[in-house]
Amino acid sequence: MATELAPNQVVPPAVPMTGPAPRRKRGGRQRPLWRDLLRYRWLYLLLLPGLVYFIVFKYLPMYGLTIAFKDYVPFLGYSGSQWVGLEHFQALFTGPDFGRLMINTLILALLTIVFVFPAPIVVALMLNELRIRVLKRSVQSLIYIPHFLSWTIVASLTYLLFSVDFGVIAGWLHDVVGGQKVDYVAQADWFRPLIVLQLLWKQTGWGTIIYLAALASVDTQLYEAARVDGAGRWRQFWHITLPSIQPTIVVMAILTSGNLMDSGFEQIWLMTTSLNRDVADVFDTFVYYVGITQGSFSYATAVGLFKGVIGVVLIFGSNLLAKRLGQRGLF
Amino acid sequence: MTIFSRRRLAVAVVLSTAMLAAACSSGDEKPAASNELTVMAPLFGTAPDPGGEMQQAVEKVVGKKLKITWVPNAEYGDKTNVTLASDKIPDLMVVNEKSPAFIKAAEAGAFWDLTGKLDKYENLKPANEQTGKNTLVNGKTYGIYRVRPLLRSGIVIRKDWLAKLGLKEPKTVEDLYTVAKAFTEQDPDGNGKKDTYGLIIPKWPGGYSSASPYDVMETWFGAPNGWGERDGKLVPGFDTPEFLGANRWLRKWVTEGLINPDFATLDTANWNDPFVQGKGGMIIDVNVRATQLLDLFKEKTPKDIDKVTLVGNLARADGKKFSYPFTGYNMVIAVSKQNVRTDEQLDQALQSLDKLASKEGSVLVTNGIEGRNFKVDGKYAVPIAQDDPKVKAIQNDVDKAFIQLGTRASVGMGAYQLRPNDAPSRAMREKFDVLMNEDLKTAVFNPVLGVIAPTSISKGQTLQNIIPDARIKYLSGAITEDQLKAEIKRWYDSGGTQIAQETNDLAAKVGG
Repeated sequence: MATELAPNQVVPPAVPMTGPAPRRKRGGRQRPLWRDLLRYRWLYLLLLPGLVYFIVFKYLPMYGLTIAFKDYVPFLGYSGSQWVGLEHFQALFTGPDFGRLMINTLILALLTIVFVFPAPIVVALMLNELRIRVLKRSVQSLIYIPHFLSWTIVASLTYLLFSVDFGVIAGWLHDVVGGQKVDYVAQADWFRPLIVLQLLWKQTGWGTIIYLAALASVDTQLYEAARVDGAGRWRQFWHITLPSIQPTIVVMAILTSGNLMDSGFEQIWLMTTSLNRDVADVFDTFVYYVGITQGSFSYATAVGLFKGVIGVVLIFGSNLLAKRLGQRGLF
Repeated sequence: MTIFSRRRLAVAVVLSTAMLAAACSSGDEKPAASNELTVMAPLFGTAPDPGGEMQQAVEKVVGKKLKITWVPNAEYGDKTNVTLASDKIPDLMVVNEKSPAFIKAAEAGAFWDLTGKLDKYENLKPANEQTGKNTLVNGKTYGIYRVRPLLRSGIVIRKDWLAKLGLKEPKTVEDLYTVAKAFTEQDPDGNGKKDTYGLIIPKWPGGYSSASPYDVMETWFGAPNGWGERDGKLVPGFDTPEFLGANRWLRKWVTEGLINPDFATLDTANWNDPFVQGKGGMIIDVNVRATQLLDLFKEKTPKDIDKVTLVGNLARADGKKFSYPFTGYNMVIAVSKQNVRTDEQLDQALQSLDKLASKEGSVLVTNGIEGRNFKVDGKYAVPIAQDDPKVKAIQNDVDKAFIQLGTRASVGMGAYQLRPNDAPSRAMREKFDVLMNEDLKTAVFNPVLGVIAPTSISKGQTLQNIIPDARIKYLSGAITEDQLKAEIKRWYDSGGTQIAQETNDLAAKVGG
């Protein structure tokens, strides 16, 4: 069901084309396909599990997406339910919720791009400049840890630290700033900052791994040569380090763009209160609410499908943009 | 790589692929075995062993093998909706018969319409007329209700704080304000600091009219319970001056610090904490919370056996009293049509349920196996041999699981009452019935509990949060009274007008 409700999985081109070389001449003598299959049979056999995985778990469930265009009643089944065309999409686009959901989702996406995406790059670059290996290693390990905590725990910690009644940090801030007590976890104004803070705390360390790997593969001779030419730390950073990890950054940016419409269901759901719901409602929580809580499976699927389509457009769009800007795209 | 190892690798690959494919296509079709019933019910602890003593005893009573899916209570609603969307609906399902997903499934024919079919089963026909009416869905009965006390609302108060400040138990809402004010400002815990508040309210998980402290207090002010008649027409409770009056009053509480500052976020799971920690002095909730809190104080300090008192519903300032009743049940057991296809099979299933609801079955699911884990002492059940792990398992299976299958006897209404340990607990238990019978005289029932407007199903997701959210915002000071009124208007504009219209029409048709 989950796959059907959230058809936002963009299938990566994980299956490399290991097929025959480009055909040489039309109508000319070409090797028959079966001979290729026979010749590379072991390779094709190795390909099989991956293919089966994608067909069974990614493509077949897409059949369920048809319920977005039906009035799905589980008892009647997929085929027994009535077709209703685009009724659910019309209801979504003209309904009172759409504008709010779109704005909230986009703002969170924007905040993610501005604050959360660059954070691992900055931290990775800073770690890279560290001289003491032990310190570097231990800092690295320490900042990974939050990644392994579930959102439930992160939300509980947030409440413990920021609750207006017993929050440690909230109390401390109150002592420093004075004035009225602020209810950070409940107030609408503080919802987005808290979400961004949580994301930074939880994901930054984990995100550095890929950049640190990219940094480790930079040829040290380049630095040596630069030093010989009299380049300082800043020059080395600007002309060697940054260009070296640029392709990685571009690839990560493209991948991230596909997930921009995913606001992180668990995190948002756990942080939603009566006071901040106006800014907290996003497509992900709406799909859950409509589909699972209210049982309107078709409507929820339509919302999810819309979100998925936007995700595909974004990923292709950013890929194209990267290529236009002279970068190597993802595909 | 040699050919041999390559081949071996390939074989492994093919095998794993085959297994993967097999795992995906394994749809074990259950034959329509008539001597087995599949059941889905909520669970409050660890799931019972299907071959355990307790399950065997239950199977003996109902005369069928039971295959029970126990679902943790916290995720029961979600799991119900997902199950309803699957092709594996259990034969007997504990379900909220008012949830949109269930109504859609039932109207499509996934469940038996039991209207008029229960009368010939002695233990299944509604024992209480009002409760039976409450379980209707637009005139139809879809299940056998699981009974609960008809009125459970009350105020739990720190008895020692009242005594220390020389206050009496409140009788009216004004008394309640006086107590809350004193609890906040007159240092009831005597530590010289102003670090207490009067009332503890949590982040309420339900919507409007879901027995929240707010709903209860609004009823005291004379607001309708859910829906009520005004000028000959049914209107939602929040569209009345009494609703606004109650919330205006409560907003003053928030401003003056008489309520816990985190009332919008405090998790219901931690609701008892501020009370036991001595931060807050009152809780408005179901009466059993009083016994719960009594026990918690005892756990902390064994000699603290009498720190809690319970007060019933309160009168309005002008002396008129309106009490908040409950629905008298909590979810129903519905019979699905997936395997139970013919009238004959339905009769068999209902006979099994009838046996489960008999005196013998009720004792079994609410108390356990007599002589094994409890003995009878007058109207009380006294636990025995609890040190034996096997007996402990029976007790656990009863309290955390099987009691959920009780329809005539159930949680809070066991066939035998558990004998309380000490005098204060016993007095408290006895108070429950006294307060209930007193408050039932002034109970304000929801006249249209059995009416479900179609628009509330189709537009529920947009409408459901508007009022409870607006209420919290108003109380916290985030919006003004005019903005609260605007939110009520928004409810009407977003589909509420249709709901009101449909509710009036349906109520006239099916007689409410």
